[in-house]
Amino acid sequence: MKLLLSLLFTLFGSTSFSQIHGLEIGNQAPEIKLATPEGDTISLSSFKGRLVLIDFWATWCAPCIAEQSELVKLYKKYKHLSFTSGAGFEIFGVSLDNKKDSWLSQIKKKKITWTQVSDLKYWNSPIAKTYNIQELPFNLLIDRNGVIIAKNLHGVELEEKLAEIKTN
Amino acid sequence: MNVSFLRTLISFLAMWTLVFVLLSFQTLQKEPWSPDQLLNPEDLATTINNPQNHQPLILCVGPAATIKNSIDIGAAHDKENLDKLKQKLKTIPKDKVIVLYCGCCPFNKCPNIRPAFELLNKMKFENHKLLNLPRNLKVDWIDHGYPVNN
Repeated sequence: MKLLLSLLFTLFGSTSFSQIHGLEIGNQAPEIKLATPEGDTISLSSFKGRLVLIDFWATWCAPCIAEQSELVKLYKKYKHLSFTSGAGFEIFGVSLDNKKDSWLSQIKKKKITWTQVSDLKYWNSPIAKTYNIQELPFNLLIDRNGVIIAKNLHGVELEEKLAEIKTN
Repeated sequence: MNVSFLRTLISFLAMWTLVFVLLSFQTLQKEPWSPDQLLNPEDLATTINNPQNHQPLILCVGPAATIKNSIDIGAAHDKENLDKLKQKLKTIPKDKVIVLYCGCCPFNKCPNIRPAFELLNKMKFENHKLLNLPRNLKVDWIDHGYPVNN
């Protein structure tokens, strides 16, 4: 039953998702300008030239926490490589947390070294609306010009994509 | 040959129907709430938007009390917060209408709603509901423009 429901959900849910928000492969990813834990404002566009994974996550999302460890490995492996879509691989972590302490402690615990930003507004975050996020974890891979080249790839699929587009 | 094929097909379909029914039954049985204890978000939004209505006690057992007039208990998977919920409920009449919600994640992945709802069952509350947010607070509440805390 659960399987059938989730299958129907995936089929119909993802269709309506793609139709509504226009964040399709080939589209420009909307600008994100949010604060880091230190309070500096960082924009997505400042990563222009590199291949960027925009990773939407939160510490209250168990699958997101599990994925952070995988991303740490991936980041180490691909950070300095070149890709057909950009020179070097960056992760831009956008957290939908609401408690700064939880956010900071997970960054420390998981030894996350890539840029992290958040407005600490949970599901009320305007960025969740702009990107029409339906569920976490959610991610987008964007090229050197900020154009979306892949959507919601996780685990093996994400690594395969990086391996496929790397040039060295 | 055809009859035999039909028989096999019917047996196969009957078996799958049985499996399907049993699985559905098991799924329903597993949850601490009954289907009639799921509260439609639109109904709660209407109640909140009309202060003349009798207001329920709305308790958030997830990351943040986003719904208007709701009280922040904290994520109920954390024992400390579950104790906090227990303390809060000690002074509440058993027939009070109570609405629990989390909305962090889809129901099947939410770590908070089950321990909280089980606690209310155990404490013998009579009118407690779970707000039906099957996907999350954003999709099933905020995106509909329902009232939120400032």
